[in-house]
Amino acid sequence: MPTVTFITPDQNRITIENADANLMEIAQTHAVPGIDGDCGGVCSCSTCHVYIPDEWRARVGPPGEDERTTLDFNDAVRENSRLSCQIEMTEALDGLVVEVAPSA
Amino acid sequence: MPDIDDPFSEARARCPVHAAEFQGETLPMILSLKKVRAAAKDWRTFSSDAPRRVPIPSEEDVRTVRQYPLEVDPPVHAEYRKLVEPFFLRPKQPEVAAKTEALVHRLLADALSAESVEVVHDFAIPLQSHALTYLLNVDEKEAQTWIGWGIHVFKDGDGMSKGPFMQDYCRRMFETAEENPGEDFFSTLNRSTFHDRPLTMEEKLGFANIAFAGGRDTIIHTVTRIIAYFASHTEALALLREHPEHINTAAEEFFRVFMPLTHIGRVCPQAAELHGHPVPAGGRISLAWSAANLDPEVFDDPRTIRLNRRPNPHIAFGSGIHSCLGAHHARAIMRTLLRRLAESVAAITVSAAKELVEREKDYSRMVGYEELHARFQPR
Repeated sequence: MPTVTFITPDQNRITIENADANLMEIAQTHAVPGIDGDCGGVCSCSTCHVYIPDEWRARVGPPGEDERTTLDFNDAVRENSRLSCQIEMTEALDGLVVEVAPSA
Repeated sequence: MPDIDDPFSEARARCPVHAAEFQGETLPMILSLKKVRAAAKDWRTFSSDAPRRVPIPSEEDVRTVRQYPLEVDPPVHAEYRKLVEPFFLRPKQPEVAAKTEALVHRLLADALSAESVEVVHDFAIPLQSHALTYLLNVDEKEAQTWIGWGIHVFKDGDGMSKGPFMQDYCRRMFETAEENPGEDFFSTLNRSTFHDRPLTMEEKLGFANIAFAGGRDTIIHTVTRIIAYFASHTEALALLREHPEHINTAAEEFFRVFMPLTHIGRVCPQAAELHGHPVPAGGRISLAWSAANLDPEVFDDPRTIRLNRRPNPHIAFGSGIHSCLGAHHARAIMRTLLRRLAESVAAITVSAAKELVEREKDYSRMVGYEELHARFQPR
């Protein structure tokens, strides 16, 4: 099962093994600070905002259109922004590292 | 036949901005979701620094105070918002969630044992009022007073007299809290400071005003419409019972289509133009959340309720810095309600209903019910 590491805004690294769900759910299960997921993962609230390091962007892929709509109006949006609720962990993403975006 | 009426479908198809008249004031309504989000973010052009003029129609006749933090712009907005934010995060605390759970359980047990229930006044208003005591951390007995304020403090019945009545009540609550301080909303604001000075009574009343008026009809109407929906869609209750993993998506879908707040205003400090609609300096525009949430450019089959809709990038709680502080509270209530309904109710039968329709010169929109008489059949 794959492993994912969250880097929080205060630079703590939280590594979760056997990650099997979308990134937001994984983060909530393990109480990762800054991943609130208020809307439950429907792409409405952007409280599960993460940045994808360059080396992972191709494998994670770009945001979908609905996700883009929500992200575009977030003050902390960057070119490498994603909503973690829209990223399903797979074996192909084993070792993934994401940065938790600062809260609005 | 669609589940939801969309009074703005024709206007939106013609142009994302539609000029509509409200009490003699013509103002452009932004109907497209992306454009509403963009305007909500652009606070310099579309300002909230407009006491009593952010709601549409304006509330200049029904209150004297500015609502905080709704009616201020950055940078002070964030400073004001921080003062009350901890209370609006309380619904996430396990002990507060347990109280909400017990409240819904108690109200549903009463409904299930009754021959008939008037859902608005016997279920939704008590649910909203009692749950608000948990949010504000005040004695639950206060809910009895708030229940008497009806569906909407300013619009239900005589808003002209109820607005000042509510303000007097809040003033007394601040004074009582001064004499006997605790950890409640009123005591906390009495102790709070802004720029190294205590909050003024006007500021404290402004926080209290929106805490009581803002999350009231929104929750009451959403609860009532959910129950009316299940009355005509018994299979939806069964679906949530068999698939509780859809509770969250169902709650979000109900927020998207049932949120009664048609829109909220912004004021243009300088003259502006929106898709050919001129706005004079000091003029207002409308961010039409309800129209945006049915935008076919964003939502597939927007007028159909899909309990498993995902993604669902709705803006029922607004967008940007002024996004609804009470969203956690509303989500906690609706998710609990949906779970409890699915667990304990087999079917709901409506015997009589009186719809509440917002009638403006340019549109009519069903926002909820004045009355909904129903029988809850236990499982």
